Amino acid sequence: MLKTLNQRISVILVLIAAGYLILAFQLPSYPYAPVDADLIPMVLGFLLIILAVCLYFSKDSETEEQKARRDIPKKDIGALLAVFTFILLYIMLLEILGFVIITCVFIFFCSWFLGYKKHITNLIVSIVFPLFMYIMFTEFLRISLPQGIMPF
Amino acid sequence: MGSIEGILTGFQVAFSLEGILFVMIGVFVGTFIGMLPGLGPISAIAVMIPITFGMDPTPALVMMAGVYYGAIFGGSTSSILLNAPGVSGAVATAFDGYPMAQQGKAGKALAIAAICSFIGGTVSVVLLMLLAPLLSSVAISFGPPAYFALMLMGLTAISSLSEGSTIKALISAVAGFIIVTIGIDAQTGTQRFTFGNVNLLEGLDFLVIALGLFALAEVCTLIIKRKDLSQDTHKLGSMRLSKKDFNEMKGPVTRQSFLGFILGVLPGAGATIASFIAYITEKKISKNPEEFGKGSVKGLAAPETANNAATSGAFVPLLSLGIPGSGTTAVMLGAFLVLGVQPGPLLMTDRPEIFWGIIASMYIGNVFLLVLNLPLIPYFAKILKIPRPLLISLVIMFSIIGVYAISFNTFDLYMLLLFGVVGFLMRIFSFPAPPFILAFILGGMMEQAFRQSLTISNGNLMVFVNDPIAISLLIVALLSFIFPLIRVLRKRKG
Repeated sequence: MLKTLNQRISVILVLIAAGYLILAFQLPSYPYAPVDADLIPMVLGFLLIILAVCLYFSKDSETEEQKARRDIPKKDIGALLAVFTFILLYIMLLEILGFVIITCVFIFFCSWFLGYKKHITNLIVSIVFPLFMYIMFTEFLRISLPQGIMPF
Repeated sequence: MGSIEGILTGFQVAFSLEGILFVMIGVFVGTFIGMLPGLGPISAIAVMIPITFGMDPTPALVMMAGVYYGAIFGGSTSSILLNAPGVSGAVATAFDGYPMAQQGKAGKALAIAAICSFIGGTVSVVLLMLLAPLLSSVAISFGPPAYFALMLMGLTAISSLSEGSTIKALISAVAGFIIVTIGIDAQTGTQRFTFGNVNLLEGLDFLVIALGLFALAEVCTLIIKRKDLSQDTHKLGSMRLSKKDFNEMKGPVTRQSFLGFILGVLPGAGATIASFIAYITEKKISKNPEEFGKGSVKGLAAPETANNAATSGAFVPLLSLGIPGSGTTAVMLGAFLVLGVQPGPLLMTDRPEIFWGIIASMYIGNVFLLVLNLPLIPYFAKILKIPRPLLISLVIMFSIIGVYAISFNTFDLYMLLLFGVVGFLMRIFSFPAPPFILAFILGGMMEQAFRQSLTISNGNLMVFVNDPIAISLLIVALLSFIFPLIRVLRKRKG
């Protein structure tokens, strides 16, 4: 039943649509509008189900190139997950350590991790860019970025 | 204010010191980002939006327009030198541009690309100047039903013209629309799908979606391909063009300036499709089509003219209707809205300095692209060698700043990360992202127009049938929605 990729994706989409529809049906109604807030979401939910069913029955029309995109070596999946963890840490520490410090650390280690070997260049870039962005945003554009534990 | 007066105001804006400076910055930055492998105009515009916060809207938008066509132009450089188009609009450029580079004529190829972009861009700005005000004056009489139909047609058009499966593109569009229903409903005040989270009350910001779905998803692709950079760039060679080259360029450049513009105006088409169609038509009418794909001047001139012409063409519906026809112009619309400017039929009369300023600045922008970039090409070619690990880290930083600077909270950053994952998954499973972002931008407006229409008619759906413009557009939209479904079912039976 779930042989092709399209069929598997289709089932996931139907589940998402169903969840969305359940939430849409629970929306409170508002008596004074000819069209209530839940109409469009319901239409969208059913539309998604219809399209997912069509996807279920449609043949894979992908080109070789598109198929090749899914061939990701295990090592690269590891690298992707690691970079996403770095970004997650970056976001979590952004307001605590402040923009400049955490960005310096992030750029340096992320580039290093991805295989950049020129440590001196890396160090210079990872200090200059965050500082430049910080000064540009806070001084010229007047948009404050998290200062964190930095004194200025 | 009359059109002539408006045009004069526009040139005044464009030729002011500030105007010239920001066009220059925009074009330069756009070219730069467009050249970077993997980064296209959508990422370029999205990354630049935070810079415009707090700026006066006129120079800011003049700059953003420059970023847009600069990025289209920049994309051709990586196509020609590396056979690695950074932008889908520059894919067709590689067909003949890369073989030229392999023959040691990279300099010539880049010069042809620059000149053709310049001509295509300039001709189409003239056409834009004529057509945009005309369309504005027609669109001013459009009611909510016609607007709703127009947006729906734009969405189905982009879906049926996207690469790959139309059904997947439609799913993408519906998903984008679903995401935009999150937040407080503007008409009734009902909270929809917020799960009681305060951060979701105003819905998700479009920058979160644009940077996640495009910039971060591109980062993922870059991470996987980070070791592929070892390709050598070829020697540039002379940039001088012979008389014969110019003679060969003449035909395609003239034809494709117009054709590209028209395709750019149509919803859903845009630079990518314009460049492919340009390539195919020139190959068909050429006396020696066998030269195409082997470094033909015509084969390079055609898509390069068309993609730039289509870029200005795409501004017609954006400026005069306020409705973007492609993923890139959808992000452009976001840039307008961030600055508090609502494009549409009223823009020409209410804010002539913006409407005409952007158009007039495109003349200067195209000149800049030519005179600034032609001599700088050899140096620009070095950008392509920027180490991928550094590029990846910096793009992530720009995305984070972009989102943080509009929301000032980390919740949106987590959402950014989430949409980065979604964008990457969409990419590997071949769901096109442009319909998603277009639906996200148009969704709110569509819902509003739909409900306004029904409020006017007191709930009677005939309001869409009685409006001649609305019903004709709806039929077109419906057809482009139904045809792919029929095709699927037929294939199934056959």
